[in-house]
Amino acid sequence: MKNKKIKKPLLTVLLAVLLFAVLSGGIYAAPKEKKASVTKAKTVDVKAWDCAGCHKDKKVLPDSHVPIKEMPYEACLVCHIPGEKNAGTLRTKIPGSHLHALKGVKCAQCHGKVKKPAPVEMSKCVACHGETAKLAEKTAKVKPQNPHESPHYGTSADCNLCHHQHAKSENLCAQCHKFDYIVP
Amino acid sequence: MKKDDQSEKTLSRRNFLKTTGGVAATAAAMVGGLNLLPAKAEAAGYALPKKWDDTYDVVVIGSGFAGLAAAIEAKNAGASVLVIDKMVLHGGNSIINGGDFCAPGTKLQQENGVQDSAELMLKDMLRAGAYLNHPDLAKMVAYNAKGALEWTESYIGAKYAKLNFHGGHSVKRAHGTINSSGSELVNKELAKAKEIGVKIQLRTKLVKFLSNKDGRIVGIEVRKDYKFPDDNSGKPAFIKAKKAVVLSSGGFSRDIKLRQIHDPRLTDRFESTNQPGATGEALLAACIAGAMDVQMDWIQLGPWTSPDEKGFGYVPLFCERLVGYGPMINPKTGKRFFKETGNRKERADAIILIGDPVIIMGDSYAVNKQIFPMALQKGVEAGAIKKFDTLEAVAKEYNIPVDVFLKEIERWNSYVEKKKDDDFDCMIFKDAQPTVVGPFYAARLWPKVHHTMGGLNINTDAQVIGFDFKPVKGLYAAGEVTGGVHGAVRLGGVAMADCIVFGRVAGTNAAKEKPWG
Repeated sequence: MKNKKIKKPLLTVLLAVLLFAVLSGGIYAAPKEKKASVTKAKTVDVKAWDCAGCHKDKKVLPDSHVPIKEMPYEACLVCHIPGEKNAGTLRTKIPGSHLHALKGVKCAQCHGKVKKPAPVEMSKCVACHGETAKLAEKTAKVKPQNPHESPHYGTSADCNLCHHQHAKSENLCAQCHKFDYIVP
Repeated sequence: MKKDDQSEKTLSRRNFLKTTGGVAATAAAMVGGLNLLPAKAEAAGYALPKKWDDTYDVVVIGSGFAGLAAAIEAKNAGASVLVIDKMVLHGGNSIINGGDFCAPGTKLQQENGVQDSAELMLKDMLRAGAYLNHPDLAKMVAYNAKGALEWTESYIGAKYAKLNFHGGHSVKRAHGTINSSGSELVNKELAKAKEIGVKIQLRTKLVKFLSNKDGRIVGIEVRKDYKFPDDNSGKPAFIKAKKAVVLSSGGFSRDIKLRQIHDPRLTDRFESTNQPGATGEALLAACIAGAMDVQMDWIQLGPWTSPDEKGFGYVPLFCERLVGYGPMINPKTGKRFFKETGNRKERADAIILIGDPVIIMGDSYAVNKQIFPMALQKGVEAGAIKKFDTLEAVAKEYNIPVDVFLKEIERWNSYVEKKKDDDFDCMIFKDAQPTVVGPFYAARLWPKVHHTMGGLNINTDAQVIGFDFKPVKGLYAAGEVTGGVHGAVRLGGVAMADCIVFGRVAGTNAAKEKPWG
């Protein structure tokens, strides 16, 4: 199970385009929890940069934001870099599903080709992002505590406990601890 | 009003009644589906769903120490077993517990030269419990703790590394897990349960127990895909328990409403060491189904928690390892104020009486010897444990009158030298040394709600007893949801013993029940 498929955004996009071509017969998927402003119809076909395609008239970007029509994910990252006076990382600003979409990951890649998409098993996350034990090594120095390894659950806690895709992510540790993580 | 969002598969009791028609059903519908007030209680009160969504021999509620022990024993006795838990993660309080398992006369005690017996453990439990313990239940725990501990080692595979002391015990008898957390045991229980074929279903909340016309528990109504703490989340479902239900849902330390009914002092001013799901609705559901509750107003405050960190935190691991090695000081007076090795209730009451946080402290010898390095490091990083080069610096930090304080430390040191505390009769350990070696470490202490001693009335077979003093058929309970084992005060490290002893009894007996249908 150590087939880390893809890491680099560009590769992701390429693979996604390829997959999309293969699966183009019909991809069904819809976010599990919908915002009131998002219509149910065909969110699956909306391009990632097309906010109004789902959110209709509701303003989701600040007024000062540059136009994003046809903008690829790499272009987002030109401004969205961490640090003071920068736009900050995009990871906490929009839901995980949107990041996936921006990187070209289609609904069906996680939810499968089904009419009624169900919650995704953690094995799907791990298939692309790698085993959680490896992830925990990478975040070993995060303060005040490694978010991916705890005395309670080891490295086995489900990604989706914190990293939601169709709702705001949450800091589950914070229900008992004073850990002020920013959760993508 | 609940919305009718059940799928075709499920049938809420309310809708079921609507479809059956009749006077009783109309009455039920009139009260809005919240409560059944049937004209003919026997006919309608025991209405069961036409269709069960799931069927198991034994259904266990709660996935902590007790629930998983029950599930494992029931499964090994041949029953099909489902464990439900309302939270997104298994383990409840057990997975955040400090991992100390009290048992008398064990191998680890022998290796450490500790003389102990079940009789002495029982004596300690009864004395701490103000003799309010139900003696037969307390005896079950004291006399079976050793066997239970050995079962967790040999069968579950849990590992214990160190013998610890807890206030109120006569000797060191707390077997500390290798990672100083209950997760060592509860995660291995979970792995074992899964390995032998127990089904685990999280995010499933008990709504009510279902009884037949004889009052026998036959199943439960739950909400599946429940998202704590939203009571309207999830979908209703009915689970049939052919043999029995085991309730091991834990205590209600986080249930501010319920705990205030029994102890009105415990307002939201008092934090809790417990996980957020430690609320009492499952216990109350059992009472509604006929179970009797006992000693609900004995609610334990931990005297070793810090106001400088959330929840249980790291300070308890610091404080409890230091008592008998270092002094507790009231910063207002600069003096000691109570027996450091006293039981939880005595110490918490003494601190509340002072009205402001006190400190526990130790020198480098005591701290390096006694404190789990990770707990110390994390506590210091969190700012809850502080490090000082000199005793004067300690006094300065906590606004302690320095002259009185230095004299008090000298006085304490003289007691340590002769191993006898003339002021408060604190137990001073053989290997304790005077508090002289810098750097010194200290932490503030303020009590938090920790354990609810009261709960469901059970017998030594873990059967839940009803208001007719007879067992509620088909219902067993174990762990913190029960009452009577600990009386007024639960001693540290006895909860793990209680959970494993009674969890196993509950599971074994649940599997022996004759199926009702």
